[in-house]
Amino acid sequence: MRRNLLGIRQLDPRDIEDLLAQAADFKKLIIKGKSVQTLNRHVVGMLFFENSTRTRVSFEQAANYLGLRTANFASQASSMTKGETLKDTILTLRYERLNGLVMRHRQSGAPSLAARYFGGPVLNAGDGQHEHPTQALADALTITERKGGLKGLVVAIIGDVDHSRVARSNAWLLSKVGAEVRFVGPRTLMPSHTGMLPGQVFYDLSAGIADADVLMCLRLQKERMDSGLLSSVGEYAKLYQVNRDTVRLAKKDCLVMHPGPINRGIELDDVAADSDYSAISNQVENGIFVRMAALKYCFGDDETKQTEKSSKGKAKA
Amino acid sequence: MKTILKNGRILDPSQDLDMVGSLVLEDDQIVEYGNDVQADDADEVFDCTGLWITPGLVDPHVHLREPGHEYKETIVTGTQAAAAGGFTTICCMPNTDPPLDNPALVDFILDRSASPEAGGVFVAPVGAITRGMNGLHLSDLAALKKAGIVAASDEDFPIQNASVMSNAMEFCVQLDLPVMAHCEDRSLTEDGSMNEGAVSSMLGLKGMPRSAEEIAVMRNCLLSLHTGCQLHIMRVSTWGAVEMIRQAKYLGAPVTCDVSPCHFVFTDEMVGEFDTNFKTLPPLRTQVDIDILLQALNDGTIDCIASAHSPHAGHEVQAPFEEAPFGTVGIESVVGVTLTYLTHAGILTPLQTIDKLSTSPARILRLEAGTLKPGETPVAQVTVIDPELQWTFDVHKTFSKGKNTPFHGMSLKGKSVLTFCGSEIYRDAYFDEARYQSLD
Repeated sequence: MRRNLLGIRQLDPRDIEDLLAQAADFKKLIIKGKSVQTLNRHVVGMLFFENSTRTRVSFEQAANYLGLRTANFASQASSMTKGETLKDTILTLRYERLNGLVMRHRQSGAPSLAARYFGGPVLNAGDGQHEHPTQALADALTITERKGGLKGLVVAIIGDVDHSRVARSNAWLLSKVGAEVRFVGPRTLMPSHTGMLPGQVFYDLSAGIADADVLMCLRLQKERMDSGLLSSVGEYAKLYQVNRDTVRLAKKDCLVMHPGPINRGIELDDVAADSDYSAISNQVENGIFVRMAALKYCFGDDETKQTEKSSKGKAKA
Repeated sequence: MKTILKNGRILDPSQDLDMVGSLVLEDDQIVEYGNDVQADDADEVFDCTGLWITPGLVDPHVHLREPGHEYKETIVTGTQAAAAGGFTTICCMPNTDPPLDNPALVDFILDRSASPEAGGVFVAPVGAITRGMNGLHLSDLAALKKAGIVAASDEDFPIQNASVMSNAMEFCVQLDLPVMAHCEDRSLTEDGSMNEGAVSSMLGLKGMPRSAEEIAVMRNCLLSLHTGCQLHIMRVSTWGAVEMIRQAKYLGAPVTCDVSPCHFVFTDEMVGEFDTNFKTLPPLRTQVDIDILLQALNDGTIDCIASAHSPHAGHEVQAPFEEAPFGTVGIESVVGVTLTYLTHAGILTPLQTIDKLSTSPARILRLEAGTLKPGETPVAQVTVIDPELQWTFDVHKTFSKGKNTPFHGMSLKGKSVLTFCGSEIYRDAYFDEARYQSLD
């Protein structure tokens, strides 16, 4: 079965559990040095309309392990700069016979549009302020490894929630599997209406992280200062930084996470980022395995099964 | 040539008339109506039993896109769409390229709309308040008025500077010209693409807060109150804006307003998975707003209904949500949607319905339309509506070049089936030909 992965919001809890289990399997196999080159028939287009180093490398690594070949498509060098519409770009790639697309775009919902015209699986690698499903999966795998599960945990997502696709995907995922989600940050960086987002809002850091199992810090974009949403970086850090002092308000064995890249000294201090609390390096590594699982989810394994079935059929005949 | 529209329900809000009877057209004029008309020497008879006979409909807000954006719509296709929608007089908006800020362009639009290939409806141009719609320097409004504009507006580029708007209104008082205003404080809506609310927060789209509309409504109402300039607020969408307008009217400001069908039918939840057919200006709001809009339509705070017909090309609409243009086509669905959601739903009586779609906009913009009184319009303007007709709106069968609409595929009850503007300019495929008899 071919399917898109456009966001966590549309997934069933069952899909999420399967994806995480598959990612954990892949991780075991890769660490043991086993080959899992099961998708080597496919070529996937890597469409990064917005710059990204880590997500792109992570997807490339995932594709390498699966034997999947990639066709790179850098937006600067593409026809998009020559005025081609996104729809036409997607149709072109469809008739270039690419089998799937991994797509990042600066506009929310752009992968949904691509999925309408591409005709094969589209995997969202981050769209605007909407969703970043593979980051949420990487974070969930990391928490599962360190905490033994997700259900019943209290997870505080701290910082610029309004502009964060990571926050939205994580909130959907964690709430669907039974964790308690808290959004912590200043009013100007909080979505205007959180009624349709699964999380409770806290404007005060100490209340928001009290007894939390996981502190998930978000990157603060410096341009938020220019648009008047914050008075200064210093004031933000004073109010919302997770550091040697504030981390004590959470559970003793809490995890500190960050999707990267970190602004050290703003959302996190060195103590919180580098201590035993920190799961940041695990998040990066797990990104590869969840992206393998995501690619497998999108392409399915029906082809191998069909081949088996047809050979069985022949044997009977 | 004598035509009888026989045994219909004659609805004429200009004289508070709701009666069963017949209407006689001779040459290009209405000569009489009632239940005792001279019908012996008729050349043709339309049996209108069960149908409404109304003044030709009037749309205060249509984009014909010509000159400059002929790929979206032309004066020919836009006026044909208007005739098919039951309209005989439409106001066209000034945001063409170049904008409608000089008399030569007004002449061009009037000439093109009177050409034989056009739809046969009257086009009443709305001129740009500022040159190039730059929001700063007033256009030569006296010359524009002389050329034939019926109102002044910067429409989708609302004047942000209150001093410029105030001066524009002072000028328009002197010229006895209504100002039409789309109300939006752009400093609050920058980069926004839908209503600021739970849905925009969920989808990660920058929201356009209701306060942006309400601040501009309040500012413009206050300027109208203090300058005495007649102000018509276009497509109001929030409950707060309705309350401001109610208050302005109470204070005696010469303020009127309209609403477009999208805003009283759909909420922002319809955006769903980034469906650009639901990207409107102002954005679709919430159920609370719809409830107040319906109430305001019923109590008269909202004076009329405008299609806000905004055709766009397919490639513009099939784009990421934030990139897609605002607006939807509507002139060929507005009657069906209004009857379905307002008249049959008990919000408006049949007479109120025709008032909102004809008499009221004609009165506000002082157009020679909106009445069946013989001799009050340059030529006869009559629309025949089948209020019970069940049909499905298929945008691929419309005259407009624009196919961007949230109403495609919807089942509607009520449709205009005949349009007369001087002569018969449109007969719908749903009109039962057995009702027609030629006696030549």
